[in-house]
Amino acid sequence: MNPKNNLLIGVIIAVVIVTSFDVGVEPIAFFEGLPNLGIVAKEMTEFELEHWETAFWSMLETIEMAFIGTIAGVAISLPLSLFAARNLSSKFVYVPLRALLAATRTFPSILWAILFVIVVGLGPFAGILAITLYTVGFISKLQYESIEAIDFDPVEATTAIGLSKLQLIRYVIIPESAPHLLSQILYMFDYNVRQTSILGIVGAGGIGFYIINYIKFFEYGKVAVFMLVVLAAVLVIDWASVKIRDKYIMKAQHGTQLKIKKLTL
Amino acid sequence: MKEQKISSYSSISTLSIVQMRGVSASYDSKNLVLKDVTLNVQRGTNYAIVGVSGSGKSTLLKLMNGMMSPSKGIVLYNYQKPSLKNKSFKKSISKIGYIPQTLGLVKNMSVMDNIMIGALPRINGFNSFFKIYPEEEIKKAHDVLKLVGIDGKADRKVYMLSGGEKRRVAIARALMQKPDILLADEIVSELDSVTAREVMDVIHDAQKQLNLTAIMIHHDMNLALEYANRVAVIKEGEKILEIGVEGERIVDFQTGDLTQEEILEMYNES
Repeated sequence: MNPKNNLLIGVIIAVVIVTSFDVGVEPIAFFEGLPNLGIVAKEMTEFELEHWETAFWSMLETIEMAFIGTIAGVAISLPLSLFAARNLSSKFVYVPLRALLAATRTFPSILWAILFVIVVGLGPFAGILAITLYTVGFISKLQYESIEAIDFDPVEATTAIGLSKLQLIRYVIIPESAPHLLSQILYMFDYNVRQTSILGIVGAGGIGFYIINYIKFFEYGKVAVFMLVVLAAVLVIDWASVKIRDKYIMKAQHGTQLKIKKLTL
Repeated sequence: MKEQKISSYSSISTLSIVQMRGVSASYDSKNLVLKDVTLNVQRGTNYAIVGVSGSGKSTLLKLMNGMMSPSKGIVLYNYQKPSLKNKSFKKSISKIGYIPQTLGLVKNMSVMDNIMIGALPRINGFNSFFKIYPEEEIKKAHDVLKLVGIDGKADRKVYMLSGGEKRRVAIARALMQKPDILLADEIVSELDSVTAREVMDVIHDAQKQLNLTAIMIHHDMNLALEYANRVAVIKEGEKILEIGVEGERIVDFQTGDLTQEEILEMYNES
């Protein structure tokens, strides 16, 4: 550990302390309030198990929403990512497109959900639109990055055969970037299920609607049942995606070095 | 009738397929990779280009199929300027079987899909997009796979294959182009000598059966002398030697006959 590092750590700690005063961090309030947590925790253990059925069906709705949103988002992302890849498109296409995609990622899906509730009214459809939009922003980014990182050799070899641009995309670009795509979709679905679970807070469908309302009416026993169902669902999805990953994502060795080289098409 | 066909063939075979006159080339406009290279490849020849790494051999091939343009001099493929901008050359590019050193196979695709890439210029956009291959192309693909000796592995993914098998796939892809010429860049350099000769035999057989011209880059002079009937030696971007091989006899076009030992000695010195 050299003095330079010590200084850096000192500065970081100082910044944390100063900003804490700035935003009003009160550790004492936390310890004074701890008994309240005990009360909530105690009430939460008084499960009202008769609600599990409602919880199950609303969780299913949540998963369905996340699924539709993920698939629709991916379907829209695939063509978009081709236009946003620096080695495939012209500057005049990818710069504005990337800005647009960045904008969709800037706000969390719950803000988009509020917007879509205004547009299409309360209910799951608004949530699906929000999830789709967020997925487009995210998957497009991951996908154009993996297109930019693909192995250049097959591109060169097939260009020398005289393939059309569409054929090159279909036979080289998509298969070469596909192994990443599957794991990205799994990751996105996982993430979207968690996101969709809270969209109900703004009335965009899913299990969050029940959770927020029971919290408002201090019915922690019911809240606990719904949260357990969410936890169970997330664990199951996590387990399933690990299985799928192991089975289908091959350990094909890819050059991971990111080299931006314009592909001549 | 049959004789007439053969004689018309032999009259074609006297024509050049690749000509280079005073060709220089560079990647960065400073250092020349090739300096004033002149060579002439006749149809039907098995032409080998030999040299150490970095001598500019790969650049020679890229000039022939238009992947690169010379900074000086003239390159002609079939009496056309090889360039992707040249419309009349663009038609013939689909018939130039090019196998780069890295092979350029798509790892996550099956052997069948990989070799069909060679036939794609003949398949229309819709069918190629949905991988609906015409029946005659599928038949052709199996014939080609049989010729290179991996007919049983059409549905295998390429990343599962061995080094020798991958090279056979690359050869098959080139043969699917119904090529006039085969350009292969150090295709056997990374293989052990037994596998290397197996792969060379595959190319040699295909070449004889299909009456192909082949221009192959080699690292190993012995291999070049064994398979080629003409060998050019490139050193530091210049062609320093061109010899003809007729069985055991080797002809240097400047000094007359040479023995294989003398050639190897000269090559090792250079």
